[in-house]
This record gives sequence, C-alpha cells and structure tokens, in this order.
Amino acid sequence: MTGTMDCATARLALLEEQRGRLDGETSSALAAHLHECDACARDDAAERLLTEQLERQLPQRAAPLALKRRLAAQWPTPVAVAARRWPSRRWLAAAAVLALVVLGTWGWWSMRGRPETLAAEAVNDHLRVLARVERLDVPSGNMHVVRPWLTGRLDFAPVVPFVGDADFPLRGGAIEHFLDRRAAIAVYERRLHVITLLVARPDGLPWPAPGRPLTTRVRGFNVRLWQANDLGYALVSDLDATELGQLAARLGG
Amino acid sequence: MVSWAQKGGGGLGQDALAYADTLYNFARYLSGNSTDAEDLVQETYARALRSAEQFEPGTNLKAWLFRILRNAWLSLVRRRRSDPTVGGLDTVTPEVEPEPTWFCDDVELDRLRKVVAADIERALMALSEDARTVILLDLEGLTEGDVAAILGCAVGTVKSRLSRARLALRRLLRDYTP
Repeated sequence: MTGTMDCATARLALLEEQRGRLDGETSSALAAHLHECDACARDDAAERLLTEQLERQLPQRAAPLALKRRLAAQWPTPVAVAARRWPSRRWLAAAAVLALVVLGTWGWWSMRGRPETLAAEAVNDHLRVLARVERLDVPSGNMHVVRPWLTGRLDFAPVVPFVGDADFPLRGGAIEHFLDRRAAIAVYERRLHVITLLVARPDGLPWPAPGRPLTTRVRGFNVRLWQANDLGYALVSDLDATELGQLAARLGG
Repeated sequence: MVSWAQKGGGGLGQDALAYADTLYNFARYLSGNSTDAEDLVQETYARALRSAEQFEPGTNLKAWLFRILRNAWLSLVRRRRSDPTVGGLDTVTPEVEPEPTWFCDDVELDRLRKVVAADIERALMALSEDARTVILLDLEGLTEGDVAAILGCAVGTVKSRLSRARLALRRLLRDYTP
C-alpha cells in the first residue's frame, strides 16, 4: 500500500478514472497512488492500452440491411395507425390531411418557442447523422479541411473552437437541416460513441442565453444547448452526461 | 407523459431502430454467428414491442433493449441445452481465470501495442460468456448501473466482474505470439 489508497482499491478505480466517473477526492488519491506505485502505474498503462485497442481494433459488425428492413416493417408507424382508423373515402382523407397541415403548422409555431423543441430537433439530426456516419459529407479528422468545406455551403461561418484530440477525435463534417435553416455538423467520437455537434444561426429560435447552457435528456440521448459567438450550438450523444460535458467544455459550451 | 405504447410504437420505435447495429454487434459476439445474431435482434424488437408499456420514458432506452436482448439470449441457450438434438452452443467456454497476482510488465505492454483486430476478437471469444458480455457492455459506454440492471446483479458485482474479465483478456493477449 502507498499513500491513502491501497493497490486493490486503486486497480478497481482505474477504469472509473478512465471513464471520468471518479469524484475529485478519489481521483486525486488515485493519482497520488499511481505516482508512488510503479506496479499500479503499469497496470493503469495496460488498462488504457487495452481500452484503446478494443475501441480501435475490435471488429464492429453492422446489422444486415435485410434485417433492418424487417425490423422497420415490424414497427407500426403513426401513419399506418391512422390509416387503419379512418375510412378510405377520398374527401375524408383530404380533410384529414388539411387538418393535419393546419394543426401541424400551428403546433410547430407554438412549439418552436421552447428550448425542448431545439433539443428534440437536435436529436433528430443526430439520428440522421448516425444513419450515415460512414458516409459523412466531409469524412476528415482535420478541422482545417472540414470547416472551410462547411463555410462554403452555409450563410454563416461556423465557429468550432475544438479541432479534436485523442479523447474526442474528429470524424468529419456534414450539412443538415435544423428546423427552418441549414446547420453545420461536426462529428466527434468517444470510444464507440458518435457525438454530433450542430452549429446554426440562433435568430428566431429559443437558444439558451449566452453563458447559460442547458443540459437535458431526450429519448435517451444527452443534449447540451448553448449560445456563443453569435451562434447556437447543440451537442448530442448517447455518451453519459459527464463525458459529454467534457467535450462541451472543450467547445466552450 | 405519452408512453411508447400510446404512440402506437411509432415515435420511440424509430429511436429503438437506431440501435439495430449496436444490438446486432452485441448479439454477434454473444452467439458467435450471424444467424443467431439476426434471430436475437429480431426477437429483441418483437419483445420490446410487446412490452412497450413497461418502458419508462426518460430512462435509458439503449440499456432497456440490451437487457431484452440478453434475456432473449439466455432463453435461446436454455432452449438449446434442453434440446437433445442440438449439440449445444459455444457458450460454456471455461472462464479464463486470471492469476491472483498482476503480471503487467514491458512484455505485456509491448504485445498489447502490437495486437491486431483478429487477436482481440479471438481473445474476446475465448472468454466466458459472462466475461465477454460485461466487457462489451462497458465498451458500449453503458454505466455500471445500466450493466447491473441488464445482468440482474449488484453494481459491485459488475465492477469486480469487469475487472476480472479485462485481466483475463489481457492475459490471453499477452500469451499470443506477435
């Protein structure tokens, strides 16, 4: 045993430290122990190396397209439910469509005033990114390649203060629609997790006030919204909130 | 709050479908073959649809789906073990017990740096199903609480099981000749 933490406790804490889940006091005690204990420091190096190799090398197999089609067909969609409930007369269908358009427009206008709407739309964008993550518009880990490409296709210059690092490597960029406007997308990774950063013009939308970021959870995804550089930012992932916060801090949010 | 079932499965169903790849990958490593993996994923979504009312909005959908898949896998294993016409699944690989003392040295670090995808996959598949499962779930970024819920055990058990499993994996990788 060295310091205030014994080797057995330190070994169990190594992974939690890797995941950023240790509180400050325990993290400091572990760091002190690793500084003094060569055996545990080596074990820490091996554990980090193992995680890195698992994340980089372990083959990831995607579900076959045929399976995805079967699954999609298995789910009742809202449209299908509606079709079963309404008679098939044309005038009734037309009236229903008209009502949906009117109600949908009214609902959209009333909902767009709430930050929750932004978070929900950011999750939708994230899902679209996930669906084409292997086919991003700019599949590059170099922000100096991604940003100029994005700038040339938007009516604003996206400011992305973080170019990626070993913890959160940049995977690429893309353009997505965000409500009524186009948005720049930067995609980062953390282990096997995909993280979507969305940057859009904030005018007319209820982004949190500058310096007052909002963290929320939508449909199982963690979402962080903030406003800076006269732009609106949304960060979305299934990554846990602590690690997402670490990336947000690098991005100035 | 509107439940999945009240939405007719449509809203959250689309969210659930976003996990098809990651569920399939997990099923592939559990079963070791693509046929069973496809069946498991299909069964998972079928069970999820049937149990939609049990899902609590705001909780971790991914963890919920993984728990269903894991249960579907256990059901499959039980069925096959009780079927005398089937030779059994390759799920009873003996646990590779790590040595009681740690053995990390320059050799291990050097081997770890040089492993390739096939080494890691082979070593992972050589672990017991429990060890493989806990490593994969951790790799998916699920919290220890989520993993505990999926496996039906205490958080402390997850921590010690994960620690042992990773040590066993390191031992296997160390023994591979580069």
